[in-house]
Formats: sequence, C-alpha cells, structure tokens
Amino acid sequence: MYLAPDGDEVDIANAAGGFLTEAMSIDRLHASAGADMSAALRRQIGDMGWFALALPESAGGSGLSSVEHALFFREVGRHCGPIDVLTQCLAAMVVDDADLRARIVSGETAVALAVRDGSHMRLLGSHEATHAIEVGQDYASLTSLAGIDIEPRPSLDPAMSMRLTPVFAAPAGSDQSHIWRMGALGTAAMLVGIAEASLDQIVEYAKVRETFGKKIGSWQAVRHPCADMAVRLESARSQLWFAAAAMKEGRSDAAVHLDAAKLLANQAAMANADSNIQLHGGIGVTDEHNAHLFLKHALVLSKLFGAKRSLLGRLLHACVED
Amino acid sequence: MDLQYSQSDQDFRQRARAWLSTNVPTSPRPANGHGAEQFDRDWQRKMYEHGWAGVSWPKEFGGLGLSGLQQVIWYEELARARAPHYINTTYVALMHAGPTVIARGTDAQRAFHLPRILSGDALWCQGFSEPNAGSDLASLKTRGVIDGDDIVVTGAKMWTTDAKHADYQELLIRTDPDSQRHKGLTWLICDMKSPGMDIKPIRTMLKDEHVNMVFYDEVRVPLANVVGEINQGWSTAMATLSFERGIGFIGDQLELYERVGRAIDMAAKIRLEDGTLAIDDAGISQKLASLKADALAIRAMTLADIAETDRSGVPGPKGSMMKLLVTGAHKALSELVGDMMGWDFLEFDGDRSAHPWTYDYLWSWVFTISGGTSEIQRENIADRVLGLPRAR
Repeated sequence: MYLAPDGDEVDIANAAGGFLTEAMSIDRLHASAGADMSAALRRQIGDMGWFALALPESAGGSGLSSVEHALFFREVGRHCGPIDVLTQCLAAMVVDDADLRARIVSGETAVALAVRDGSHMRLLGSHEATHAIEVGQDYASLTSLAGIDIEPRPSLDPAMSMRLTPVFAAPAGSDQSHIWRMGALGTAAMLVGIAEASLDQIVEYAKVRETFGKKIGSWQAVRHPCADMAVRLESARSQLWFAAAAMKEGRSDAAVHLDAAKLLANQAAMANADSNIQLHGGIGVTDEHNAHLFLKHALVLSKLFGAKRSLLGRLLHACVED
Repeated sequence: MDLQYSQSDQDFRQRARAWLSTNVPTSPRPANGHGAEQFDRDWQRKMYEHGWAGVSWPKEFGGLGLSGLQQVIWYEELARARAPHYINTTYVALMHAGPTVIARGTDAQRAFHLPRILSGDALWCQGFSEPNAGSDLASLKTRGVIDGDDIVVTGAKMWTTDAKHADYQELLIRTDPDSQRHKGLTWLICDMKSPGMDIKPIRTMLKDEHVNMVFYDEVRVPLANVVGEINQGWSTAMATLSFERGIGFIGDQLELYERVGRAIDMAAKIRLEDGTLAIDDAGISQKLASLKADALAIRAMTLADIAETDRSGVPGPKGSMMKLLVTGAHKALSELVGDMMGWDFLEFDGDRSAHPWTYDYLWSWVFTISGGTSEIQRENIADRVLGLPRAR
C-alpha cells in the first residue's frame, strides 16, 4: 500500500513536467494563434512517445499503466494543455488500422474529440483534425471527417477550438469501456493539475503582494481560502491516485473510485480556479493574467467523461471493497 | 503506487473481524453518567484481556505495535462491526496520555500508568485549555509553585471532558511566574482525587455535561509526576497534540463511509413531508452521493498519509487537512439527515442512543471547535503546508 508517485513513476512525472514546460508553456495561450496544438508541437509530443504512453506494447506503445497515464495528464493539466493530447492517446487505443494508428501516435494525423449535444456534435480540439473519436461509457469509435459539414464556433476556452457538425453515424465499436475510463482518468488528472497550478499561483503571489503594509499571505482573509484550496486539492489528488492504482490492479470497484475521482477533480479545479482569480484581486480578471485560463479550461474538462449529475447518479448506490 | 495489503495485513483484518463479530457488546452504551463510564471500562477491559488493547502503542509498552496501515484496518473493522465509539471516556488515556508518557515519561511513570490505561482501570482527562486560553493555549495562567517535593497548583481549567470519571489528568501549568507564552510551562500528571480540586460541569447545547471546569486551590502534585522537564512543558504538550493530529481521528475518517451508507439506507425508507421517498429527491440524493465521494477521498487521503508515515517514520502535516475534511463532512451529513427526518429530528432529550442523528448534528460544532478549531487548522495549513507569511 503506497498512494503517491514512487520510483520510476516520479521520474516519468518529472520528465513530463520538464518537457511540457519547454514545449507547451501556458503563456502560449496569450498569443493570437495560441489555441490548439500546432502541427509542430503535435509532432514533437508524438516523437517523444507521450501519445503512446499507455498504449499496449503489442500496438506499438510503451505499455505503461493507468498510473503513468494519470501522472502524465496531471502535468498536462498544470500547463493548461489542450484536450487534443488526451484525444490522440485515446484515438491510438481505439483505431484498428495499424498505419493510421502509427500516424496518430507520431502526431502526423490530428484527431478531434466529438461530443454529442442534442441534434449536433461538438468537435473539440485542433482545426487540423482529419478524424474524430466519440467515446461513450461502453463504446468508442473513430470517424473520418472528410465530407462532413463543419461550422466553427467561438470557444470560451482559449486552449481549444470548438466546431459544430451534424450528428454523424459512427461505426459502433465493441465493448470499449476501457477507453472511457482512460478518458475519465486523464481528464480527472488534468483537473487535479489545474487545481494544483491555481493554488501554486496564488500562494506565490500571496508571498510577495502587499496591502496595508503587509504581505497579503499574512491576512487570514487570504490564508484561510488558500488553506481550503489545499484541502480540496489534497482530497482530489489522493482519490485520483487511488483510482489510478485501482484501475492498474483491475479491482472490481475501480469504476466507483474513478467516478469519485472525477467528481472531486471537477469540484477542486473549479473551486480553486475561482479562488485564485478572487484572491488575486483586480489583476485576476485581466486577460494578460493566467488565472482565467485555468477556470475556462476547467469548465470544459469538468463536462467531459463524467459531469456532476451522471457521476452522482452512479455513486449513490455504488459499493467499494476493503 | 499500489493498493495491495500484505498477507499479514489481510490476516490481521480477518482476525479482527472474527473477534469483533462475537465480542462487540450487544447492549447499547448508556448515554452518560456512571453507566457510560462503566460500559467503557468494561469494553476496554474485554479488549485488553483478549489482546486488542493499545493498537497504536509499541509492543514494549504493552501495545500491539501495529503499523499505521494495520491501525487503519482495526478502525475500519470497528466501524463495520458497529463497535462502541472509540471516542469515549477511555479516549484521552489511550490517545493522548499514554502516548505522551511513552514518549516523554520516566520509567516509573510508564510502569505505573501504562498497564492501568490499557486495562481500562485508569481513565484520564485533559487539562490544557483555560477560560482565557483556548485557541491561544500559550497564554495559559494556572500556576504551579515548587514547594519541597511537590508542585502546588492554583487556577482553573476549562472544557475538561469526562473530568468526573477520570482517575488522572494531563495538566499543563505555568511554573515560571516571570515567563511569557510558550516558555516556563510544565506538564504534570494530576491525581483527580487530590485535595483542593473542584469540578463544575458545563452544560452544553447537547444537553449533556461531558465537559467541565476544574478549579485548583493549592493542589499538591508530586514533582515525580512531571512528564518531560520542568519549564519545558510546551514541548511535551506539542507531543501530546501531535498524537491527536496524527492518529486520533483515524476512526472518524473511516467511520464516515459507514455512516453515509446508513444515511442512504435511511433515505430509501423515509418519506418527506410531501410523501416523496427521500432518495427520490434529487437535492437529497445528490448530496448523499457527493458525501460518499468525500468519504472515499478521505479514506484515500488517510491511506496515502499512513503509508507515507509508515515509510518515513515521521507524521506528515496533513492532520489539519484531515480534521477540516472530516468535521466538515460530518456536519454536512448531519444536516442532510435532519432534512430527511423532518419533525422526528426535532425530538431530543440528550440521549445519544435514542436520538443518534440529532446528537451527532449538535456534536458537529463540538467537533469543529474542540482539538483545535477549524480556524486554527487553517492557520496550521497556511503555515506548515503552504509556507505563507505568518500573521502572528
């Protein structure tokens, strides 16, 4: 029993963090072309093998587990990384065609995430995508976007493009609940990363910013909300590790722990992003500051792979093992 | 990262479960008074006689020498078996006083007190807070003057739980009259039968008298009863409190999941004022499910912290986070059950057994205030976890 990154896991998390700080700094989102992963960045991430981290070795991947998957996406979240990173990983797991899979893994082919929204589908992610995956709780399918009408929509979240298409009939996949779970774990991890980065940002600021002749971090009106942010983060992060390990070990209650992890990650990211803006004061609502980027990205991620109502509905009667 | 219990941990769980299944008292614990005290002593003695006393204590001092993880397992099994709540009149002795005497006491103090605590023969109470020293404990004023082989104590202590039942008290006093704040304090073992002591119950909003004021009028305590050094009592007291923050709340953390499950069972049977089953009300069912997720996360956090502590040997700074989470969830659950129960929730005469949910609702304020208020816990987190500039 050990519920924290350990041994090689720490090395992988550090390697991911170092790489993403170089390649995908959050400041990119202030540039006018900041939204979406560029083709060059996609190739770079692909070359490093990150899209194939948890892909089985038999499919040309690194064959690592849900634990490394969670550690990587927590780092992606800390950098407000686009949903495209997760979409590429999941698409590589969905696709049967080995050539197409190789192109997705290398970043040569871009894939968008398709989400049903009434009589439409929303396409999230790179406008260069030639394919889209749709993932439900027990199915996953990949579709070519060739010949499909696509209407651009303005995206609140600067970290992705959003487009609208008619519902397209995707080929029904066999039982693919594993894809959904890796999507849920990946988004939960990204949200935990956002909750962490939001806390780090305000704590750093509270140590230097002064009001009434004192550092704001010495005022209890600032200290106590920061403490609450830390508590929310700690509980969401602990549950994330529990869910990741439960999936790795094939526990029968892994899905329950994953639902709890996603719920707590949704809550922690939204609440911490909120507090981060508020405690910054005026500078927190400016476009040039990063605080709003965390909030807007968390809004998107908390709707994907399990939003509040469905998670709570399943958790009510769920049971766990010892 | 792994969730594996070793074979010996699994065996321990089976042994604990088997023993508890046939030995947990079948009669309910009396709500208060001498009956409650006797019930607690009997249950402690039973655990002692069957080799289950002192789960957190080292073997060399008569405890079970369990790892942190095995202690977690024990408290999980207690909750599962609906065993008597471990926060009872034995709590201070087992969770505070014993560990403090083990860590800082003399051989003579250990030899005398530890076996009595384990067997339930000696109950303890705490004498730290004062009428004007609660959150700001270091401002305490009860004074002790050395006279021959004794320290003569005069002053008053506040919020002393179960003072009327206790045999001994962990007493923190000021022995250097010229000292300020944390300096000049001494930690004493005070015999509750000492002449010059007067106990006045404080009736709480729970309609019980579990807390008291204790007055000391030239009470003589032998110098041999000093734990740690004279005038270094703050250090001993911090050790005492670290046991509470470290292990003292494990049971509450783990019990929460069981209690949420009971509330969900109740929601499937209870009808709201308009005849709707409580569980069919979206507001109620969503809150219940959310509390279940909180309970799972608290358990995950406990396991993460325990595993880290077992490996490093040093308790982490997460106790304050745990207390905030557990007490907050406890309060939210009580409020929610109150909402479901309607008028039945408003029947209360102070009897915990007859009105457990109402009692727990009222208790939730005791929980967020005692053992360090929620505000003090947030200060601890700001200082020790986040490293924010200090205001004090």
